[in-house]
Amino acid sequence: MTTTSAQAVPRAVAVARLEEQWREQRSLRSWFATVDHKRIGRRYLVTAGAFFGLAGIDALLLRTQLARAGGDVLSPDQYNQLFTMHGTAMIFLFATPMLFGFGNALVPLMLGARDMAFPRLNAFGYWVFLFAGLIMFSSQFLGVAPNGGWFAYVPLTDLPYSLGRNLDVYTLGLIFLGVSTTAGAINFIVTSIKLRAPGMSLNRAPLFVWAIVATSFMVLFALPALNAANALLFLDRRFGTHFFQPDAGGNTLLWQHLFWIFGHPDVYIIVLPALGIVSAILPAFCRRGVAAYPLVVLATITIAIISFGVWVHHMFATGLPSLSLSFFSAASVLITIPSGIQVFAWVATMLFGRIVVRVPLLFVVGFIVTFVMGGVTGVMFGITAFDMQITDSYFVVAHFHYVLFGGAVFPIIGGLYYWLPVLTGKMASEVLGRWAFGLVFGGFHLTFFPMHLSGLLGMPRRVYTYPTGLGWDPWNLLSTIGSYVLAVGLLLVVLSVVLAVARGPRAAVDPWGGDTLEWAATTPPRPYNFASIPQVFGLHPAWDRRTLSRLETDEVLPGHQALLTSELDARPQRLVSMPEASLRPLLAALALLVVVLGLLWAVYWLAIAGVVATIVVVVGWLWPPQLTRAEAEAA
Amino acid sequence: MTTIRSTARGRRLGPAFSWFGVVGGAVAWSVHLIAAWAVDELTCGAGRATVAGVPLVAVMWVAVIVPALVTAAALAVSALVWRRESAAARQRADRGYGRTGMLGLVGLGANALFLSIIVAGGAAVLVLPVCQP
Repeated sequence: MTTTSAQAVPRAVAVARLEEQWREQRSLRSWFATVDHKRIGRRYLVTAGAFFGLAGIDALLLRTQLARAGGDVLSPDQYNQLFTMHGTAMIFLFATPMLFGFGNALVPLMLGARDMAFPRLNAFGYWVFLFAGLIMFSSQFLGVAPNGGWFAYVPLTDLPYSLGRNLDVYTLGLIFLGVSTTAGAINFIVTSIKLRAPGMSLNRAPLFVWAIVATSFMVLFALPALNAANALLFLDRRFGTHFFQPDAGGNTLLWQHLFWIFGHPDVYIIVLPALGIVSAILPAFCRRGVAAYPLVVLATITIAIISFGVWVHHMFATGLPSLSLSFFSAASVLITIPSGIQVFAWVATMLFGRIVVRVPLLFVVGFIVTFVMGGVTGVMFGITAFDMQITDSYFVVAHFHYVLFGGAVFPIIGGLYYWLPVLTGKMASEVLGRWAFGLVFGGFHLTFFPMHLSGLLGMPRRVYTYPTGLGWDPWNLLSTIGSYVLAVGLLLVVLSVVLAVARGPRAAVDPWGGDTLEWAATTPPRPYNFASIPQVFGLHPAWDRRTLSRLETDEVLPGHQALLTSELDARPQRLVSMPEASLRPLLAALALLVVVLGLLWAVYWLAIAGVVATIVVVVGWLWPPQLTRAEAEAA
Repeated sequence: MTTIRSTARGRRLGPAFSWFGVVGGAVAWSVHLIAAWAVDELTCGAGRATVAGVPLVAVMWVAVIVPALVTAAALAVSALVWRRESAAARQRADRGYGRTGMLGLVGLGANALFLSIIVAGGAAVLVLPVCQP
């Protein structure tokens, strides 16, 4: 496939033709119809970031209310809605979509592919995510937001204890959102298995890709349990079934089982891609690959599997037989081994590498410190006797913020700084970034460390106020002050990104010296990513001269095409045509939105109309294109 | 996956054998967890201490020991694959992990971990009454 120097001009012509074929016009229609994974990835990041901001404002209001005993900033009902929306939005509308945004923007680039395997499904997933988020947040502004906690335990959330539309928004919103997450997961799996660059066998796949694939499999196995639980609760509430009503033969623990079969893997669904981000960032700033690559892969896979066997540790206080609990307790404690393997691998990478301290690395170090602290309290919860003492207290709130904020938000911010050149072609200010890190790190620990103490002193979670004199006052005040410091730090992150995009310096090609293929593309990448399909010879293709030189000289892959490769060893198989931009994904998402709104408002003819519209759009979407003879022969 | 033997039968069995070394422990642990938990919770919830006439504690032992043995077998297979691949890697110039070697190592670590979890959870059958809340 290598061209000679005499073919340099034809290569330039071929690249120009490629530009023409992949370019998306700047128009309103193009904005709605795009299927470019990079544009969709950026939209995921921006939208999830906006939802993070809204849920963060909820948190600030909650902390303001709790700053002193007997606070009266919020009413009890407002407080219920705010803490429910805060948790629900952070878990479902921020963390997973944000990490899927990184996956969308980066996985095809890291694999040396031209797009996701199903670009239109990708666009559809984004629109569904956006509409589901808008439904849920608009309910908050209308005063009918979910108010039963992010895990919506029955019987509280069932009739007659929760009237109104609040919990219907929760059940339908999450089922709707699940469509998006499932579509995204399928897309990541197929893309990673079939579109890897030639030579990228399983033992050469980037750790971030391993993490995204493991996460996607987890989504596919975990999400049906949540969807089933929400569907059953909706049926109970709307149509009078009794799945969760014991006096009519139902079972309240069924909700907890279904929810946590999803819920605990979901912790790792959030954390694993973030760990992948850490493994992607470290090589650039340690000037070496991540130590013990096979063991990190081992850890990623085993965490993904074992996370499905620990859900009952959320139910240690429900009266299940102790013997049953012991099986889950063992898994809950031993899952720390693979987590520990990853931490030791990162520490070894830094120890044996040549460290260059820049903003992304600071957030990685902040992550390691915070995540390990959260992991230590996590082990404590794995011990049944301790868990029984501390369950539903602020100690739990402290623990899961250390795990989720420490385990996901620090890497997300680090990843944002690291990949900003790929995402925007610009560099962020190092000075602003360091200030942001200091405020986020300090603010975070000031907010959440005192919660361990208020929890140990007996403060229960989800209380809208508390009396003075119980020893909780100073810790709550510190937490509230910390939350404002944290908010300032996060605002600095937003400011530095906005300033970078608006007037930041243009990024050079591979400004950090990263080792994965996204850094071998132009900065920012062209719509087709790579003119020639990369050849991979090792674990660090962007550090490999053979890969880089062949990218410059190999034959250009013409047309709107991608190369399929074999599943295990990434051997070239055949070329496939990639779909063009289309409005159908947006229309399908809109039709599904009509179904959800019809069910939510109990206007069933509208829901049926939405179902019909969805079917019509999907049939049109899947209808075989009319090809000319020449096109058919080419295909 | 690499073949274990060079005979025709070996070539047929090799990949399946090796994949057993990679995923055998995970499957066995999943079966152990679901079976042991579900049987214990449902039987005790129904107020019984036997399953089809068999004492619940005996069922619990089966739900622990059989998956543990399967996991131990998977561990042995992955160790075999890992040893062969390591020997092959030493012959190569780059001495790096091949794809099969990496999966062998993943199987080795995973099976050891799953066996530890089954043993640690299963040890409770020795000390806890089956239906004690």
